[in-house]
Amino acid sequence: MTSISPTLAAAGEAAMTVGSAPAWVLAIPLLPMLAVVLNTFGAIFRVKTKLPAWITIACLAGSFLATALAFMALSGQTNVVTAWKWFDLSWGTGQGQKFIADFGFYIDNLTLLWMLFVTGLATLIAVYASEYMEHDVGKGYTRFFVAFGLFVFSMTCLVMGDNMLMLYLGWEGVGLCSYLLIGYFYKKPAAVAAAKKAFIVNRIGDLGLAIGVMLTFVHFGTLEYAQLFQSEQLLGYIAAVQEGRAGDVPLMAQLIAVFLMIGAFGKSAQFPLYVWLPDAMEGPTPVSALIHAATMVTAGVYLIARMLPVFLVSEWALPIVAWVGTFTALLAATIGMAQFDIKRIMAYSTVSQLGYMFAGVAMLSSVGGVYHVVTHAFFKALLFLCCGAVMHGFAGQLDLRKLSGLWHMKGWRVVSIGMLVGCLNLAGVPFTAGFFSKDMIIAEAFVTPGYGYSFLGWTLLFTAGLTAYYTFRVFFRVFTGPVQYEPGDEHHGEDDHGHDGHSHEDHAADHFHPHPPRFAINFVLTTLSVLAILAAGLYFVSPEKHGWVGDMLEESTAHNIYTDDHSAAAMFLIDDSAHAAHDTHGAHDTHDAHAGEHAHGAHGSILGFDPHKVMYYISAVFGLTGIALAAYLHGPRGMVSGFLGNRVEAGKCRMDAVAKAFDPIPRWAENKWYVDEFYHFLFVRPLWVISYIFQTIDKLLVDGLVNLFGYLPRLLGRGAQPGQSGVLNGYALSMAGGVGVILFIVVLVTL
Amino acid sequence: MISPIVLYSMIALGAVGVLLSLPRAKANFALPGFLIGSIAGGVVLLALGTKAVSESSANGLPNLYFYIFGFVALAASLRVITHPKPVYSALYFILTILATCGLFLILSAEFMAFALVIIYAGAILITYLFVIMLATQAPTEEMTENQAPFDRVAREPVLATISGFLLLAVLTTLMSRGVPTLTVGPVVRSDQILTELPLRIERALRDQHMLDGEGGILPTESLARAVNQDGSPGEYLVDAIDRTAVVRVDAEGGSTRVVAWPEDLTLGNVEGVGYELIKAQPGTIEIAGVILLMAMLGAVVLARKQMQIDDDAKRVQAEGLKPTGEGASS
Amino acid sequence: MMTTLAQSGFPEAMTSLTLFHYLFISAVMFTLGLIGFVTRRNLIVMFLCTEMMFQASGIALVAFSRFYLEYTGQVFVIFVLTVAAAEAAMALALVVLLFRRHETLDGSVWSLLKG
Repeated sequence: MTSISPTLAAAGEAAMTVGSAPAWVLAIPLLPMLAVVLNTFGAIFRVKTKLPAWITIACLAGSFLATALAFMALSGQTNVVTAWKWFDLSWGTGQGQKFIADFGFYIDNLTLLWMLFVTGLATLIAVYASEYMEHDVGKGYTRFFVAFGLFVFSMTCLVMGDNMLMLYLGWEGVGLCSYLLIGYFYKKPAAVAAAKKAFIVNRIGDLGLAIGVMLTFVHFGTLEYAQLFQSEQLLGYIAAVQEGRAGDVPLMAQLIAVFLMIGAFGKSAQFPLYVWLPDAMEGPTPVSALIHAATMVTAGVYLIARMLPVFLVSEWALPIVAWVGTFTALLAATIGMAQFDIKRIMAYSTVSQLGYMFAGVAMLSSVGGVYHVVTHAFFKALLFLCCGAVMHGFAGQLDLRKLSGLWHMKGWRVVSIGMLVGCLNLAGVPFTAGFFSKDMIIAEAFVTPGYGYSFLGWTLLFTAGLTAYYTFRVFFRVFTGPVQYEPGDEHHGEDDHGHDGHSHEDHAADHFHPHPPRFAINFVLTTLSVLAILAAGLYFVSPEKHGWVGDMLEESTAHNIYTDDHSAAAMFLIDDSAHAAHDTHGAHDTHDAHAGEHAHGAHGSILGFDPHKVMYYISAVFGLTGIALAAYLHGPRGMVSGFLGNRVEAGKCRMDAVAKAFDPIPRWAENKWYVDEFYHFLFVRPLWVISYIFQTIDKLLVDGLVNLFGYLPRLLGRGAQPGQSGVLNGYALSMAGGVGVILFIVVLVTL
Repeated sequence: MISPIVLYSMIALGAVGVLLSLPRAKANFALPGFLIGSIAGGVVLLALGTKAVSESSANGLPNLYFYIFGFVALAASLRVITHPKPVYSALYFILTILATCGLFLILSAEFMAFALVIIYAGAILITYLFVIMLATQAPTEEMTENQAPFDRVAREPVLATISGFLLLAVLTTLMSRGVPTLTVGPVVRSDQILTELPLRIERALRDQHMLDGEGGILPTESLARAVNQDGSPGEYLVDAIDRTAVVRVDAEGGSTRVVAWPEDLTLGNVEGVGYELIKAQPGTIEIAGVILLMAMLGAVVLARKQMQIDDDAKRVQAEGLKPTGEGASS
Repeated sequence: MMTTLAQSGFPEAMTSLTLFHYLFISAVMFTLGLIGFVTRRNLIVMFLCTEMMFQASGIALVAFSRFYLEYTGQVFVIFVLTVAAAEAAMALALVVLLFRRHETLDGSVWSLLKG
C-alpha cells in the first residue's frame, strides 16, 4: 500500500466508493427471466405460433432499454443493487468467518459496457431467430426461446453479479443453456454429442473456476467485489509484486489467478479446452452467433478483466494467459484455413480472435482486449448470421466448394454486403473497427516487455495475415464467381414434406429453389452491418483515453487502477522509472498521446519504431497480403483478369494445386491437427475403460447385492416349502414336534 | 422312580428300534428293530420294577400281571404301527385292546375292562375291519405281495420317530417329577358313596351279625340318625373316613354305640361307576347319547350320498341295472 | 410272590406298583400311536393309530382313578369311549367317501394345500 503513488491511490479510492443503484436496474436481469417464465407457460400450453419469439424480443428489448438508461444515469460510478439476500452465514467474528453472497448486481462501467452489447445483440439475434427458426414453430420453437431467455438471464448474472458466487451462478447457467441450445436438434446424434462435449469440456474449466472462487474466499475472506477490491490484503499483495517482492505473496493467493485462468480457458475455448467450440456449430445459427461468438465465450475475457487485481497478484498467471492466447490464435487460424464448412471456419476464427482478446488482456492492454471483445461481438455475430442466412436459404448447405456467386443472386445482396462488412472487419482492413481493436492489442504486445512478448507480437501479426486469408477465402469462394449452388441435406430433411420414394438427386436438380432471407433476417443483418461499421467510431471518442472503451474502463477495476497501463510494465522490471500519471492526457491526437506516454523509454519497439505509431501500417501490410493471397488462390476469373484467381466453378480453384503440392500438411490441418483424436486416446478411452470396470462392479457387486436381497426371501420360501406338503401326516408331524419342543423347553426351564 | 440316564438311554434305544421296524422300501429291518425295541422296553420296566422293590418295604416283587399285560400292550402297539398290511394292523390293535383290558382289571376297573372289550374290540374295530375290506383296491401291477406302495413305505420315519420320542422323554420327565407330589385324599370315594347308602350299611352290619354272631348289629338295633332342629330325623350318622357307624338301640331313648363297618363292605366297581354316572354326571349321559345319535345320522347321511364317479363306464354300468326298478341310486 | 387279580383289596394304596408305571405305559402307547399316525399313509391305519392314542389316554385316566380311589376317571373313560365310537363312525364314513373319490386309500393324494 505504501508504494502506490498517492494519485493512484486516490483515484482508486474515488472509483471504488460504492453507491446504491436504483431499483429499476433490476429490470435488466429480471426481464429475460420474465421471458423465460412466460415462454415456459407457452410450452405448457403448447403454443403453436411465433408468440414466444415476440415475448422474448420484447423482454430483451426492454432489458436493453434499461441498460441504456442505466448507462446514461449511472456511468462513471460504482453502484450495487441487491435483489434479495441469498447467503448470509456467519459463524464467528474474524476474517473469513462469515459468508455473504447476495443476489445482487454490481453496476460499474465495465458491467455497463458489457451489458450494452450483450443485451443489444441478444435482442437483434432474437429477431433474427424468430424468422430463422420458423421451421420449428410448434415443434421446438418455444423451447428454443426459453433456453435463449435463460441464457441471457444467466449472462446477466455473470456480468452483473456483485460477488463471485453470482459470477459462478451465471457461468454455470450459460454453460447449461449452451448445452440446451447446442443440443436443440436433439434427434441428431452429432448435435447431442456436440452438446455433451461442450458441457464436459466446459466443466473442466468450471472446476478451475470453482477452486478459484473457494480459494478466494479462504484467502481473502470475502467474495463480494466491493469488499474484495478494497481489501488491504489484496492491495498489499499488489504493492509487493509491484515493488518486485513477489516472494512475499503467499502461494495460495497466486494460485487463485491460475485457477481462474483455467476457468476462463474452458469457457472461452482456449487451448487445450477449445475442442468444443467447433463442434458447437451443430446448434442453430442464432445460437452460434449469440453464444459462441459474442457473449458466452467472452465470459472468460470478462472474468480476467473483472478480476484483474487478483491476477496482478500472481507473477505467472498473466504471461501464461498471453502465451496460451497467442498459441491458440495461431493454431485455430491454421485449422480454419483448411476447413470447408463455412460455419466451422467462423468457429475457428472465433477461437482465434478469443486468443487475441486473451493476449490483449494479459499483456495489460485490457482496453485493447475489451475493445476487441466489443467489435468482435458485432462483426462475428454478423458473420455467423450471414452464414446462417446462407444455410437457411440453401437447405443446410455450408460447404464452400458447393456454393458460388451469391453476390449476383437476386435477394441475396443484403447478406452479401453484410458478409463483406464482417469479413473486412475480421481481416482488419484499415479503418474498420476490427482494425483498430486488433492493432491496439498487437501494439501493446511490443510495448509491454518481458516474457517474450515481442515474439508474441510477431506471431499475432502473422496470425492476422492468416485471418485475412481465410476470411476472404470464404468470401471469394461463396459470394463471388459464377452462380452455382447445391442444396444441402435439409432439403428433404424435414419429414413433413410428404415426399417419399424419390431420390435426392432428381429433386436437387429440378426442384430446388433457394429462398433468400426475408424481412426479419435482412433487418437484423443491416442493423448489424451498420453497427459494425459504427463501432470503428468508438475509437475516436475520447481518443486520449484510447477510445470510448478506454474511457469506460478507466474507472473500473479493469483499468489497472492500481497500476496504470505502462507502469505495470515496471512490475516486471525492477525499474523505478517515473511513470506518467493519467492526468498527462492532454488534447493530443491518438498517436501523440501514445508517444507521450511512452516517453519514459522505448519499452519495446517494433523494427526500431514506436509500436503505436507504425502498427497501423505494418498490420495493414499483413492484412492486405492475406487478402491478396486469398484472391489469387480462390478468386473468380475476371475480377482483374490474369492476376487474380481463375475459378470458374464452385469446386475448383488454384488452391487445389497448392494443396496438392504441400500435401499432407493441408490434410492434417483439415483434420484439426488430430487434437480431438489425441484427446480421445488420452482421456476418453481410459475413461471408457474405467467406466466399464465400474459398470461391471456395479452390475456384479451392487446389483448382485440387491439381487441377493431379492433372492433371500425366495430362498427362504423354497426352503420352507417342503414343510407345506399338503399331506395330513406332515401337518400332524409338525404339530407333534412343536408340542414336543415346547414341552422340552418347559422342562429345561423348570429344571 | 427310575434313574434318568437309564430312562433316556432306553428311550433313545427305543427310538432306534421303532425306526428300524417301520416299514421301508428296500431292506427289512423289522426283526432287529423289534428286538431292540423290546430290549428297550424291557429294561425300562425292569428298572421300574427293581426301583419299586427297593423302595417299598413289604410286598416283594411287583405285580407280575402288570408286566405281562404291559409288555403285550406295548409290543402289540408297535406292531400296529409297523405292519404293512392294514388288516394286520387292526388285528394287532385288538390284541392291544385285550392287553389294555387286562391292565384295567389289575386296576380294579372291571366295568371298564369289559366295556372296552365290548365296545372297542367288539364294535369299533369290527367296523374298521369292515371298512378295510370294503376299501381294498383291486390289485395293480405295482403292488408286490398284494400290498399297495403307500402301505409299504413309511413317511418321514426319522423325523416322526425323533419328535415322538422327544415327546416321550419330556412326558416321562414331567411325570417322574410330578407323580411323587400327588397326594391321596383322606376319603375313599367308595366309602363316601356308601355313606349315601346307609341302609346297605345297616343290612351289611345285620348280615355280619347273622354270620358270625360278633360285631354287626343286633336285629333290634338300627342306625342312628341325627336330629334336626325342628325335631325331624336328619342324616344317618355314618362316617366314611373311619368306616364307622353309630348304632342305636331301637327302644326309645336307647343308647348309641359306634360300630365299625364290616371289612368286606366295599362298593363294587360297577356299582360305583354306575352311581357316579347317574348321580354326578347325568347331563353328560344325555349328551353322550346325543353325540351317538348325531354320529349315526351323520354316518348314514355321508355314506348315503353318491359321489360322482369319474369313470363314466361305471355309471353306465350302474344305470344298466336300472330296468328292474329305479336303479341303485336314489 | 403276591399276585392278585382284580384286587378285592381295593382300598389299599398302590405300593409296589406306582402310578408312574401305568403312566409310563400310557405315554409309550401314546407315542407309538403318534408315530404311527404321522408315519403311515393308509387313511384307515392312521385312524387306527388315533384310536390307539385314545386307548393310551384311557389307561392314564383309569390309573389316576385308581390312584385317587375315585370313580371320575372311569366315568370319563366311558365318555372317551363314546366319543371314540362316534368319531370312528364318522371317520370311516368319510374315508369311504374319500376312497370313492380317488380309488385309493393313500393319504398323500389329498394334497391340495401343497406349496
